[in-house]
Amino acid sequence: MASSAALPQTHTAARSNGAGFFRLIPGVLLLIAVGYAGKFIEQFIAHYGKAHHLVLPNIEYVLWAIVIGLVIANTVGVPEIFRPGVATYEFWLKAGIVLLGARFILGDILRLGGISLILVFIELALALTFMTYLGRGFKLPPKLITLLAVGSSVCGVSAIIATQGAIDADEEDSSYAIAAILALGAISLFVFPLVGHALHLSDHAYGLWTGLAVDNTAEATAAGAIYSDAAGKFAVLAKTCRNALIGFVVLGYAIYWASKGQAAEVTNKGAFLWKKFPKFVLGFLLISLLATIGFFTKPQLGTLGNLSRWAFLLTFAGVGLRTSFRELGKQGVRPFIVGAVGEVAIALITLGLVVGADRLFHL
Amino acid sequence: MSTSVKPRISIDTWAVLLSLVLALLVRFGILKTVPW
Repeated sequence: MASSAALPQTHTAARSNGAGFFRLIPGVLLLIAVGYAGKFIEQFIAHYGKAHHLVLPNIEYVLWAIVIGLVIANTVGVPEIFRPGVATYEFWLKAGIVLLGARFILGDILRLGGISLILVFIELALALTFMTYLGRGFKLPPKLITLLAVGSSVCGVSAIIATQGAIDADEEDSSYAIAAILALGAISLFVFPLVGHALHLSDHAYGLWTGLAVDNTAEATAAGAIYSDAAGKFAVLAKTCRNALIGFVVLGYAIYWASKGQAAEVTNKGAFLWKKFPKFVLGFLLISLLATIGFFTKPQLGTLGNLSRWAFLLTFAGVGLRTSFRELGKQGVRPFIVGAVGEVAIALITLGLVVGADRLFHL
Repeated sequence: MSTSVKPRISIDTWAVLLSLVLALLVRFGILKTVPW
């Protein structure tokens, strides 16, 4: 994989030896500084408007944190010393999602998650088929098509990395697919809220839409939270449903490529599924279960919700800091075009699904 | 990426463990309030 700030370096970040831990500190401090600066700007504008009786646009801290990160990453760049710590944004994202479980009652998860799951199945089938035919139309290499299809239908970068190993794809193909998904994710942060406001979507419908249509979990969470706190919650729920299916899709492709003699056989399917299953989904459900049975008092649930917000704050800062448009641009135009056409189609399809579900189930 | 050391515990698992520890600290009153 290309050693750029644009691409995830989670394996480096996860090294658990002592020296590795200390290497994370500068980058984590940078995440805190950028995230807090975003929060400060939001509050400053609100106070200023109030003090001077001005009606100023309420731009969420999420967008400020991302924009500050983007400016740093695409002007002075992120120095090497900060990179391991910045790469921990994915860790904070998952911790934030688990803690967010405290803000959901299990019954809500089952009801909303049930509707989301039905929509996710439809989205998966349509997205996988569409991306496969689109990639063939553009004469992309078959395994790159598989990676783009998985990345745009399931869950972005994690799905691509999981699939790359399972189908023995080239690292170059994997880099192309990841770059396309990340570039489009960055664009969606700005486009989705505009479309949502233009269509006057409710928090619930908008959150469900971003959770279904935006591929990478960090970007889906951010795109939801930019709209509103509640929309961010629903985006995470819908995206978690997609994430939960990652193992099944990767297993399907692994079996397909093994049948063609171009990937290793999957001997133990149960172990394969468990290995690919995102464990943070279980943590999210566990915290929600504890909240449902009254393990926490109401103020304690509020405290857990705030901890989740702090974890997400670091995530949003990381989303901006790890996105280098120059590095993404180096990865070639064709995978990006296929990704872009596919993403627009998937966004429109999922928007139709959500609007339909909203009318049917009164979300 | 292929040369990197595979962590024994995944990022997901670390995130779940940290979250559970924080939840227990909150539940048993060690971590009382977290302002936002």
